[in-house]
Amino acid sequence: MSSISSLNKVHKLGLFGDFQDKNETNLIKIKEIKNINLFQIVKHKKSKQDISNLKIDGVSLPKNLHSSSSSSTRIIWMGPENWFVFSTKNLIPELENFDDQDFAITNLSHSRCIIEIEGDMIYEVLKKGSPLDINKLNEGDCANTVYNGITITIDFVSNNPKIIRILGLRSFGESLYHSITDACLEFGFKSI
Amino acid sequence: MLYIKCPFCGMRSQNEFAYGGDASVKRPELNKEISNNEWDDFVYNRKSLRGKHIELWHHVSGCRQWFKVQRDTATHEIFKTAKMDEQI
Ligand SMILES: [Zn+2]
Repeated sequence: MSSISSLNKVHKLGLFGDFQDKNETNLIKIKEIKNINLFQIVKHKKSKQDISNLKIDGVSLPKNLHSSSSSSTRIIWMGPENWFVFSTKNLIPELENFDDQDFAITNLSHSRCIIEIEGDMIYEVLKKGSPLDINKLNEGDCANTVYNGITITIDFVSNNPKIIRILGLRSFGESLYHSITDACLEFGFKSI
Repeated sequence: MLYIKCPFCGMRSQNEFAYGGDASVKRPELNKEISNNEWDDFVYNRKSLRGKHIELWHHVSGCRQWFKVQRDTATHEIFKTAKMDEQI
């Protein structure tokens, strides 16, 4: 876990864009998710292991384009036999039980920046930079796509209120943050 | 702009994909005597045809899988996509 976030220099708290004369509760909220453990789990091609009963912190591995979660752990599908596990808990003792004949597990806690945006207009924000058919997607879905040319993962956290998390590579973090906040300006946003 | 149906993620924009060349090219067999002409055919020579073509595409900004696409190189119409171990 990296104590210095990739958005350290750019994520300034406050109100930005077209926020005047608007109710603060109607503005888009932008938050960085940090100090979280992230592991990638990849099941080997030749492995015969049945994953349907497999659980990590009580959460099962989700199917294509879906996520599953508990209050402390969230797992998203990244590709065939490939998942990202986020957790506020230390999962290392539990993950050590996984057989390395079946799975490759990598600690990626340092490697991503996670931007959470909340508000009624966030789908419009996504549409400005991403070709994904967002209106079809719902809570519990996730998708890899691009935003202004940057490869991202979108995790649809909640429908009401509308909350999504956008993951990008750490080194693209600042650039992604500027892309997202630029798109939010016309709606007005609050950095929290 | 093409829409390509990834066998794992469904219909997505071409922006998410990278083109990977002719999918019908076969590598010469291992441990077999290979002529220079056979190597040329494998490494360089392509049909570059006008019409139905089987291609490799990589969902590089998606699930990061390679798969096959049958596409018309003149009209860009996509007829079928398949996983690497499936027949197209
Ligand atoms: Zn895909």
